Amino acid sequence: MPLNEWIPQMAQGCLLTLKLFAVTIVFSVPLGLLLTFLYTSKNRVVTKIIALYILLMRGTPLLLQIFFVYFGLPYLPVIGKYVTINSRFVAGAVAFIFNYAAYFAEIFRGGLLSVDKGQYEAAKVLGLSETQTRFKIVLPQMFRISLPAVSNEAIILIKDTALVTAIGLVDLLKVTKTIVNKTTNVSAFLVATLFYLVMSYILTLVFKFLEKKFDY
Amino acid sequence: MEMITVKGLKKNFGELEVLKGIDLSVQKGDVVAVLGPSGSGKSTFLRCLIDLEEAEGGSIYIEGSPLLEEGKYIPKKQRRELLYKMGMVFQHFNLFPHMSVRDNLILAPLLHKQGSKQELINKANEMLKTVSLAQKLNDMPKSLSGGQKQRIAIARALMQNPDILLFDEPTSALDPELTGEVLRVIKRLAQEKMTMVIVTHEINFAREAANKVLFMDEGYVLAFGTPEEVIDNNKSERIKNFFAKLDTK
Ligand SMILES: Nc1ncnc2c1ncn2[C@@H]1O[C@H](COP(=O)(O)OP(=O)(O)OP(=O)(O)O)[C@@H](O)[C@H]1O
Ligand SMILES: [Mg+2]
Repeated sequence: MPLNEWIPQMAQGCLLTLKLFAVTIVFSVPLGLLLTFLYTSKNRVVTKIIALYILLMRGTPLLLQIFFVYFGLPYLPVIGKYVTINSRFVAGAVAFIFNYAAYFAEIFRGGLLSVDKGQYEAAKVLGLSETQTRFKIVLPQMFRISLPAVSNEAIILIKDTALVTAIGLVDLLKVTKTIVNKTTNVSAFLVATLFYLVMSYILTLVFKFLEKKFDY
Repeated sequence: MEMITVKGLKKNFGELEVLKGIDLSVQKGDVVAVLGPSGSGKSTFLRCLIDLEEAEGGSIYIEGSPLLEEGKYIPKKQRRELLYKMGMVFQHFNLFPHMSVRDNLILAPLLHKQGSKQELINKANEMLKTVSLAQKLNDMPKSLSGGQKQRIAIARALMQNPDILLFDEPTSALDPELTGEVLRVIKRLAQEKMTMVIVTHEINFAREAANKVLFMDEGYVLAFGTPEEVIDNNKSERIKNFFAKLDTK
């Protein structure tokens, strides 16, 4: 099978990789933000629950979490039959979203802690309410501080998406492996490498641009 | 008119007693310089006045209205309105780095509905003229020098039409050659009869700009009077020593 037949197939696989990436970012960033809010709230019980959640998500393999969402959920007592996810893509996406939200929550929490105490004081002295302070003063600075770490996480995500082959989804890596098996020509791996590199590079450029734009 | 009245103000940080019963009365148009050794509680006192620290005892009245009365604070919601009569300028400026000079200036008055956006931008332009930074409206804080940042911070405080301005060492974070431009702005405000309380280590500035000097030591007021009384003719050994040491520096 020649190169001009591989490329469309691999592009097809890429599309799934990109879809998974996009869905994960779009949902895990806000969810991570919400977790950060809850984590930094004054309610001790809430804080403990979020800490446990983050420990669970970061302390166990993502692959295991993907298996759990796809195969394990139906076996949960009582709620099992309501939370069954039949679509492989949705199951994979759910696992990624919940896993990455935990990482983003930790990144944002770090960003929050690095916002200078003087900013809160200036806001208070200027008569801003706590909500106004949070949204107009603290969050924009938190995002700026978090940007490099978020960029790092996003590049890891692009590569992590390959894990969904384990539940039978056909992404870029899966397509490549199939081609190699069929043709016994390993140069398909080289093409896949290029695909991943291009995606990572574009991401890097996007985040570089964002960092420049918010370089105050 | 009595702008600030403080009676028996007490503040602890854990075991540490930082303010041990401060009394002070500031009249309209007074410029009070707060002097004293490092760690004597000057910043803490100023921060209590504007509710950045909560005191344990005593009373604070702003223009006759209680903020704290015999150790009891008024409810949080009522504090915001009362405290908006006062502006504060910090040692490290605390400009909002993600906002232009313009947005730093109009943010608070816009949220307090003190005018339309256009009116407030016009007012911001006027304020920038009073601190001699007329061209800086659209600059980001990052691009300004320390002295310029501090003058923007003063303009930002003035935007809220405060009756009282508090300063905590407004020139201590600046290179020596930049302190003059900031002190000039404060002196001009003094001439315009703005009521101000200024924590400072600039003795000459205190002499020239202030009509009252409050000398603090170890959480007490050691002296309160005119600059001549407190700086030049005081009988307290501690105070004499303090100024003697400064002179030799
Ligand atoms: N947030 C805090 N927690 C604990 N102790 C504090 C805190 N803020 C101030 N202190 C202590 O309170 C005392 C008075 O501090 P304060 O900052 O009011 O002094 P100051 O007169 O402003 O000194 P300086 O001239 O160095 O600014 C010091 O011993 C200081 O260590
Ligand atoms: Mg101080």
